[in-house]
Amino acid sequence: MSFETVIGIEIHCELKTKTKMFSSAPVAFGEAANTCVNEVDLGHPGTLPAVNKKAIELAIRAATALHCEIDPVVKFDRKNYYYSDLPKGFQITQQFHPIGSGGFVEIDTDNGPKKIRVNRIHMEEDTAKQFHLSNGTMIDFNRAGTPLVEIVSEADMRSGKEAAAYVEKLRTMLYYLGVSDVRMEEGSMRCDVNISLRPYGYESYGTKTEIKNLNSISNVQKAIEFEMARQSDLLLHGQTITQETRRYDEASRGTISMRKKEGDVDYKYFPEPNIFPIRLDDAWIKSIQENLGELPQQRKVRYIQQYGLMERDADVLVAVKELSDFYDEVCKYCKEYKLIANWTITELNAALNKRNLTIQENPCDPKYLGDMINMIKKQEISGKQAKIVFEEIMNGKDPQKVVEEKGMKQMSDSSALLKIINEVLNNNPQSIEDFKNGKDRAVGFLVGQVMKASKGQANPALTNRLIQEELKKR
Amino acid sequence: MRITDYKKQKPAENAKDALAKAKALQPVLNAVVTFYEDTKQQADAADAKAEGLLRGVPIALKDNVSTKDVRTTASSRILDNYVPVYDAAITEKLRDAGAIFIAKASMDELGMGGTNLNAYTGKVNNPWDVTRISGGSSGGSAALVASGVVPMAIGTDTGDSVRKPAAYCGVIGMKPTYGRISRYGIIPYASSLDHVGFFTRCVEDAAVTLQVLAGRDDRDLTSSFEPVLDYSNHLDDRIEGKRIAILDNVQNAVKDEESLKQFDTLMKSLRAKGAVIEHITLRNDLMQALLPTYSILANAEATANHSNLDGIRFGMREPGASVEEVMINSRTKGFSPAVRKRFVTGSYSLFVENQDRLFRKAQKVRRLIVQELEKALQNYDAVIACAAGSIAPHAEDTSEEKLSQTYLVAENHMLLGNFSGYPSITVPLGFVGGMPIGVSLTAKPFEEQQLLNIAAAIEKETGLADQTAEVKA
Repeated sequence: MSFETVIGIEIHCELKTKTKMFSSAPVAFGEAANTCVNEVDLGHPGTLPAVNKKAIELAIRAATALHCEIDPVVKFDRKNYYYSDLPKGFQITQQFHPIGSGGFVEIDTDNGPKKIRVNRIHMEEDTAKQFHLSNGTMIDFNRAGTPLVEIVSEADMRSGKEAAAYVEKLRTMLYYLGVSDVRMEEGSMRCDVNISLRPYGYESYGTKTEIKNLNSISNVQKAIEFEMARQSDLLLHGQTITQETRRYDEASRGTISMRKKEGDVDYKYFPEPNIFPIRLDDAWIKSIQENLGELPQQRKVRYIQQYGLMERDADVLVAVKELSDFYDEVCKYCKEYKLIANWTITELNAALNKRNLTIQENPCDPKYLGDMINMIKKQEISGKQAKIVFEEIMNGKDPQKVVEEKGMKQMSDSSALLKIINEVLNNNPQSIEDFKNGKDRAVGFLVGQVMKASKGQANPALTNRLIQEELKKR
Repeated sequence: MRITDYKKQKPAENAKDALAKAKALQPVLNAVVTFYEDTKQQADAADAKAEGLLRGVPIALKDNVSTKDVRTTASSRILDNYVPVYDAAITEKLRDAGAIFIAKASMDELGMGGTNLNAYTGKVNNPWDVTRISGGSSGGSAALVASGVVPMAIGTDTGDSVRKPAAYCGVIGMKPTYGRISRYGIIPYASSLDHVGFFTRCVEDAAVTLQVLAGRDDRDLTSSFEPVLDYSNHLDDRIEGKRIAILDNVQNAVKDEESLKQFDTLMKSLRAKGAVIEHITLRNDLMQALLPTYSILANAEATANHSNLDGIRFGMREPGASVEEVMINSRTKGFSPAVRKRFVTGSYSLFVENQDRLFRKAQKVRRLIVQELEKALQNYDAVIACAAGSIAPHAEDTSEEKLSQTYLVAENHMLLGNFSGYPSITVPLGFVGGMPIGVSLTAKPFEEQQLLNIAAAIEKETGLADQTAEVKA
C-alpha cells in the first residue's frame, strides 16, 4: 500500500530594509555581535514600536506577486511567549489581519504547471540569535527586530520535488522583487515543512510532523523524501505517527526528533495597543503594485518568445537574477540572442569559476562581450580566437584593441584568401589528385595547410568553400 | 511659588533649595526613590536657556520616566539596579525647556495601584497628614508638589494615577488627551490607557507645563499631530456661558456630606457667574462596569508589557540552573505579590478559551462606555464630579479592594478619562477635617484649553491656588 503525501510550507523571509521593523537600528548581516541594536530592539522599558514603511512596501510587493488580496488597513498583534531570544517577551506580528491573503504560486511539475495556494503573507519581527556553548548561552541581538514576512502555503504539495519547486519559485521571485536576499544558508530565508501521509482518496489529513532548519532547497527535498519513507514505514508496520517537530540532519541525511508537541501553545494573541491601525493610501499601494518590475516567469517567457531561446537555457539564465540581468545588458549591444546565451551560460560561468568570482563580482563589461559576439557573427574573428579575446575581456580589455594588438583579424577577404589557397594547391598536387579520386578528406588537409599559411587567421568556413571551388576548377 | 517666580531666580539657587528641601522631607514623606546629584551642572545648563519655558525650574519625575544614566526603578525590585541607556521623549523636552531634575519620585510598583503603599522603597505619606496615604500611583510626585519641594512634578495616569493623588494631596493633577504627550520612554502599565500627566499648585503652571510636554513624537505612533497651543497665554477664567454637567452617578455615590456641601457651594457660585450647570446621569450598569473592565484590559496589556522584565538583559537577575529558571526566579522575586496577581488576572483574560468572554468583551464594554461619555459631552463643555469618595484614608486601614467596595463608582469614575482618552483634570475644592478634597473635570478630546479655562474659573472661586502643606522635617 502506498500513501499520498500532503505537504504545507511556512517560509520566513527577512526583508531587505535599511532599518528594523520597529526601530531605527540598522539591519546588517555579519556585523560584530550586539552592535546593530538600540533600546527598542533590546526591549528596554518604555520603548515603543515605530513601523518601518519600507517593510510594508516590500510586503505589498511580495503579496502582489503571490496574487494575494491586500488588506489596506495594516494592523499588528502581540504573540506572547517567554524565550531568551525574544527581548520584549512578545513578538509583534499580524495574527488577525495579515497584509496579504488568498494567493497562489504556480510551479512546474512533471505533469505540467500546478497552482500552490498561499493562505497568507504577514509581517513580523525576527528574534535574536542564540549560541549555545558548553559554558553558557550567548545572545546576539543584531537580528532582533529585523523585518520578516511569513508566507504560509496551503497543504497543496504532494512530493519533495514539488515542495522544492515551490521554495525555489518563491526564492527567485522574492529576490527579483528586491524583497529579500533569500540566503537560506545565512538564514535570511527559512523554511519549515509540515508533512503527513494519508491513503489515496482520503479527504482528512494524517498526523503531521514539522521539519525545521532546512537551510537549502535540496535539503527541503531530501528531508521530505526521508520523512515520507519514515512515516510510510511506521504506518505499514501498524505504528502511529507522533505529532512533533523534527530537524533535518545533514550528516545522517535523515530527520531527527527535536520536541514533541504537547497540545498547542497558547500565545494569547491580542491587538498591539501601541500601533493604531494604519490606513494605507490606495494610490500608494497601486504605485507599488504597478512597479513590481519584471518577474522571473515574465522574463523566461520573453527569452523564449522574443529571443528564441530554448526553455532550458531560459531557465538557467532566469534562475540567477544577476546572470540574467547581465544577459539582458549584453542584448542591448548585440542581437545574436542565442549566441549571447551560450557565451553567458557556458563561457562566462566558466571564466568566473576559474577566477573564483561570484556573479555579483563579475568583471565582464556587457558591451565588450556584445562587441565580441558581433565580430564572431561578422566572421571577423573565429570561435577559437574569440576564446582568447574573451579571456582579455575578463581582464577588462576592449575586444577591438585585443584583436588589433594580437593581429588576429580573421581573413574573410576572398581575394586575399584565394591567393594563399592557390599557393597551397600548387604545392600539394597529390591532394588534388586524391580529391579527384573521391577522397574528400583531402579537403580537410588543404584547409589545415591554408590555416597554417595564414597563421590561423583564415576564416575556416570560407576557406573550406573556396578550396572546394578551386579544386573543381582544376 | 509659581513657575514664573522660580524663573526670576537663579537656577543654581532654585536647584540647591529644592534638593535640600526634598532631602529634609524625605524621612517624613518618603516620596523620593533617587535624588539627582548633578543639579549644579543641570542648573548651569538651564541658565543658558533664556527662552526656556521652565528655565531654572526644579521639578521631579515619576520613577517610570526613562532618564539616561539615572537609575529608573518604577518602584519595582526587578528594576532596582536599572539605569536606562536613553531618555524618554518628555525628559528631553523638559531639559530643553530648562527644567532642573531634582528627584525621581516614588510610585506604586509599575503604576499598579492607587495608594502608593506598594512601592519597593515603602509607602509615601500625605503632606497634609503623614499618617494618611498620598494616593497613587504617582504618589511621590503629588507629595513633592503639595509639600512645596517643587512647583511641578511629572506623573502618569492609567486609571486615575495622577488625578486621585492630586485630590488627596490638594494639588492640580492633569492628564491631557491620549496622544497629546509622547509616551516614548515611559515604563508602561497599560499602553492603551497610559497617559503622561503632571502636578502643579496652580492652573497657570499646568498650562505652561502642558505647552512644554505636548506635541507629536514619531517614536510614539499614538501621539497626535494636533497643533500645540499657547495654553498659558490663552488662559481665560471667565465662566459665563460655559456648559458644565454634574455627573450624578458620582455625586449620588459620595457619602460624605461635607464634600457634597462644598461641591454644591462651588456649583452655586459658578452658576452665579453665568455658567450653565446641569445634571446628567450615565447608564449606571456601565458605571458599575468601569472597574472590572479596567482590571481586565489594563492587566491584559500589562502582562505583555512587562514580559520584558525577565532578568536577562537588564534589571535584577536571580540565579537559576537554566535560562528559563533564571527568568522564573527573577520574575518571582522581582515583583510584589500584588503585581503578580495583576499579571495572573491579565493573562487569564487572554487565554484562548477566555478571550471572548473576558478580554474581547471588556473591549466592547469600553467602547460602550466611551460612546456614553461622548454622547453626554455633546451638549457640554465639561463633565464635573467629586474626584474621590472620601479624603485620603489612613495607611493602615487602606486597601484598594476596600476602597472600591465602599465606593465603586465614586472611587473609579475617573477611569472614564482613560477609557476615552479625553482630557481630564483634578482641581482642589476645599478641606474636610483638615484634609484636601478635589473636583474632577473631563472635556472633549484636545480641548485642553477649555479644560484649563474652566479649572482656572474654579481656582478663582476656591481661592486655593498656590496652597502648600507645611510639613515639619
